[in-house]
Amino acid sequence: MSIALLFIAFLFAVGSLNIRQTVPALISFISMMFVLGLFYISLDEKLLALFQIFVYTGGIMVLMLFGVTIIGDKFDDFTLRPVAIVSSVLIFVALSVIFFKHKDTLLQAPLDIDNGLFVSQYSDFIIIFGLIGVSLLYGTVKMVKVLKKRSRDV
Amino acid sequence: MFEIEMLFAFAFFALGLYGISSRDDFLRIFFSLEILINSIIMMLAISAYHLGLAQNLVLSYMIIVIATLEAGVGLLIFSASNKIANIKSADKFEESADDK
Repeated sequence: MSIALLFIAFLFAVGSLNIRQTVPALISFISMMFVLGLFYISLDEKLLALFQIFVYTGGIMVLMLFGVTIIGDKFDDFTLRPVAIVSSVLIFVALSVIFFKHKDTLLQAPLDIDNGLFVSQYSDFIIIFGLIGVSLLYGTVKMVKVLKKRSRDV
Repeated sequence: MFEIEMLFAFAFFALGLYGISSRDDFLRIFFSLEILINSIIMMLAISAYHLGLAQNLVLSYMIIVIATLEAGVGLLIFSASNKIANIKSADKFEESADDK
């Protein structure tokens, strides 16, 4: 069941990158994320699935619809780049080789992860969230300033 | 089962890399970025289920929140560049700068 869901999600992902019309590509992409949410349910990780479907898929869908209004109903033409295909296949092979080489260690070794940052207290994450929030706020304010300056110049 | 699911996660990662390096449109680059991030979340979720690493799920929630914020900032940059130089493709940034 989970393998079938992953296969369907992969097909949707390939479709989202290759469909020429923007709205069907967006629908394919959103379907991929929804199917991944179903995959998480099949793994018995229901909260992650709810996050995936309601927070991630919902948020991304609204944002991408905004992008579609700027781009229009069709993407520009693209050319196949053999270097991109070869490099991504090489990355896939390298990841698989590394994984299968260390798979037994992963499955057998006792994991001593009871203590440490991000494990003993989830409040440690507040530091990261604070940093990210400040960075995003700074970037947004800077962008608005640049836009205002450019519109004055024009 | 664990191995096949991880292979699918690697395939998603490779597909996202392929999309980033071969597509010009902003929207397709966003799709590829999100596929990359989804592959990481998949790896965390699969290892949480099969290896019993429950803290991976907390990391996944954090990544989901950050990825949504990242998409918002990315679209802000896209809309700003579209407003300033009327470009829809990342490859045309340099041409637009040369024109000015």
